[in-house]
Amino acid sequence: MKLKKEFSDFYKAIRISSETNALREKRRVLQEDIESKLPDILKKHDISITKSDIKMIDQGSYKYNTTIIDDVVDRDVAVIIPLDITKNDDPRKIKGYLRDSINIASRTVYIKEPCVRASYYENEREWLHIDLPLYARYDEKLYLARGKETSSNFSWENADPVGLNDYLCEKINGNAQLRRIICYIKKWRNEKYSSTENDHEIPPSIGLTLLACDCFSALSTDDSDDDLRSLQKTMKSILNKFSIKKDQNGEIISASLNCYLPVSPYTDVFIKMKESKTHMITFYKRFSKAVANLTSAVQLESEHDAGEYVQKVLGPVFIVPAKEAVAAAAQNRREHSFGD
Amino acid sequence: MTVREVLETYNEISIDKEITEEIIIFTLYRRQFLIFPPSKDNPASTALLFLCNDDGADFPHIMLNNETLLDSPLIPKGKYRWVCLYEQESLVNSIVSYEDKISDSIERLIELLSMNEIEKEREFQKEFMLYWNANSVEKKPYSVYLTQEDEFAEMDVYFGESNVRIIEKGLYLSDINDRDNDKRKWVRHVENDVFFIPISDNRGIYPPRGGNNWASQEIKNIVFSQQVEHISDSVFKQINCTIPKTQNIILVFGMKSEWSNVTFAVKIKCKNNVRHSLLKKILYDIVAINPLTTERKDYLYFNEQLGNDIGLLKKKVLVVGAGSLGSYVAFELVKNGAAHLKLYDREMLEDDNILRWAYGGVGVGSNKAKIISTLLGLLHPEIEVIAEPKNIDERSLIEETSCSDLIIFTIGNSDEQLKFNRILKASQCAIPVIYTWLEAGGKYSHILYVNYQKKGCFECLYTNENGDLINNRARMNSDDIMDTAIIRNGCGGTRAAYGTTSLLRTTAALLDIIQKVQMNELTESVLVDVSPESVCISCTTFPMEACKCCGN
Repeated sequence: MKLKKEFSDFYKAIRISSETNALREKRRVLQEDIESKLPDILKKHDISITKSDIKMIDQGSYKYNTTIIDDVVDRDVAVIIPLDITKNDDPRKIKGYLRDSINIASRTVYIKEPCVRASYYENEREWLHIDLPLYARYDEKLYLARGKETSSNFSWENADPVGLNDYLCEKINGNAQLRRIICYIKKWRNEKYSSTENDHEIPPSIGLTLLACDCFSALSTDDSDDDLRSLQKTMKSILNKFSIKKDQNGEIISASLNCYLPVSPYTDVFIKMKESKTHMITFYKRFSKAVANLTSAVQLESEHDAGEYVQKVLGPVFIVPAKEAVAAAAQNRREHSFGD
Repeated sequence: MTVREVLETYNEISIDKEITEEIIIFTLYRRQFLIFPPSKDNPASTALLFLCNDDGADFPHIMLNNETLLDSPLIPKGKYRWVCLYEQESLVNSIVSYEDKISDSIERLIELLSMNEIEKEREFQKEFMLYWNANSVEKKPYSVYLTQEDEFAEMDVYFGESNVRIIEKGLYLSDINDRDNDKRKWVRHVENDVFFIPISDNRGIYPPRGGNNWASQEIKNIVFSQQVEHISDSVFKQINCTIPKTQNIILVFGMKSEWSNVTFAVKIKCKNNVRHSLLKKILYDIVAINPLTTERKDYLYFNEQLGNDIGLLKKKVLVVGAGSLGSYVAFELVKNGAAHLKLYDREMLEDDNILRWAYGGVGVGSNKAKIISTLLGLLHPEIEVIAEPKNIDERSLIEETSCSDLIIFTIGNSDEQLKFNRILKASQCAIPVIYTWLEAGGKYSHILYVNYQKKGCFECLYTNENGDLINNRARMNSDDIMDTAIIRNGCGGTRAAYGTTSLLRTTAALLDIIQKVQMNELTESVLVDVSPESVCISCTTFPMEACKCCGN
């Protein structure tokens, strides 16, 4: 299998297998604050809940165990409270109450469209943010509070965070190669979008994860998994899902990719990116380039040359093996000495 | 080709100064280097490269100190640090041409300067102790003794004249109470609590190096990191619930990976918050840190470094017989990872014995088991060899089976072997038992592994198909050879002729079999024949169904 050790080393280098104690501690304190303060704040607005009514559940990569090292640790924890959304039809206000319950000096807290974000800084650098999507449990269904604080566009959106967790955990748990492929694709995204600041330009992790699950090709040889070929084939299948339009000169004028949540509200996870044609075209071109590089890597015999193509996709953390001639020459001169 | 001509084949290199035809200063990737060619008179030599006037270069394999050997009128004044491009004895240099040696050193330099962060991290971690100990200001080295590398542990500190020992609590070192006249050699100090903290994920942990010395933040990052968890949950919990008794603390970190196994100690000076847990002390109370020169000295580490099987480390091995074969077996067991032996033998060492006695003439006139115990104890303070200066009897053997993990009989007396075999079978012995013996003449020897929970025992070898007792069927010497290979010295005294080749061969084969038993590769009782030609499973029928001791 080509580049077996290199992929194995790469995965070890980028992977985060569990929440750190520092992160766990931040999350624990945050949860305590929500549980102790939110009921009182809501009470002032004639909403009655108790501490035990508040449920908090893991979401995102930490739940599916597909977290990779990044500049900022990104943690998603859903906050679920019982709430009559017919009486409280403005989710922005409820998100504001959630923000108020956690807004202390040691965190920077602000409202985003789908969540409330608590950011943590050290030496003026953000090292962690915990996103808290807020769900109302009403009539035995969950509704996600959507809308920025001052936006006129807001709603309670029917959602199923537990169903999404179950769907992805069922796909990923027990499939080590799929888990690795998801991590590689996320690493590709981080490399190619490292200088992009606008979130809407960047393919979201949930989209890449769902696509990888849908398009995954398990590939192995007799002795072990073949991650290079699996990654190439999976990414090629994802690429084939794009719909492309070109002008008379062959220039791409639009690129579209549909990927819907497998649970309520069954919305397109790339909807924000689609607000701009350019974002999707850039996504397509970059993805297409990655597939071309991986295809070259698969076709090449030389491990060194193949590694150089993979490095173009996954970044400098992927270590290119030595040129075969150099390695062979060094092997021929290797000492058999048995030491002292 | 000259050095200059080789260098000129690289586009990345610009030549700055030609000191002689072969000694050149050049620039590569904006850094200046000095190259000395390999010696044409010494085929084993390589090219030497030095980094010039650059204290800031943050690359592995560049020596920390300036090279003073370059004080020559030829070499421009400046700071030169040697670039170590070759692991010691890693290549056969004599088969490489002069030009290829120069090219090879340049290729390696380019590779070094082109390393990405992951590669640099790996190389720095390989050289971690070099950097760590270079950064220490303590004069006395701290020798660390551990029994394991995965769990949090409390440790004790003992000061000696020239070094300090940090010993995991519960580990006994046999020389810790030694005295020099009336003065203790090792004095326990209690002014610092000491804890061992194993690092399970070493990503992002670099040694202190030029301009990047460790401060409290590095220690905090290990126990309470933001993104990568460096310690296990159980270690974290113990750090969180341990309340140190002292204000200042010594922390010993262990960091093991596929490319290195390092242990480094640091003294942390803390604010006096008596109720703070170790975690809180590390997070909030550190006011200064002091790296300590550290070296691992424990038996586990030495065995791991040599590639020994560490499965025997905590096992208790009973060796019955401390004669010629027993002396070799005991010696090699200890050097192969068995630290706890018990030896039975009542014989005294005589002059006649010393040429096939593993330790030469030391101790003539003393009990053989006691001599071995004394000498093996000198190898390492964790080695514990208990000598019983008597022959083992039935009661002792039964008792020993309950407190041993392996029994090895190195006696040649068939009656004794048969007697012990019967006792072990009757007691349903649950631990592995090995009988090993030599045939006279120095050619053949045998190793019998018996699992008394299964079929096969020593008596099978003395049993024919009808269940009758006969002489050892595994014997390979003919009667003629038996006659000539026995030295008779009157009054019934005899001595079988064999040399140390037979002892060494048998001991080596025995160690292999012990390893297979430890690894559960060998579970059925088996007889192995050892000869100068081969070590193989014996053709002798074994087990013997009709055996009255173990058969049906």
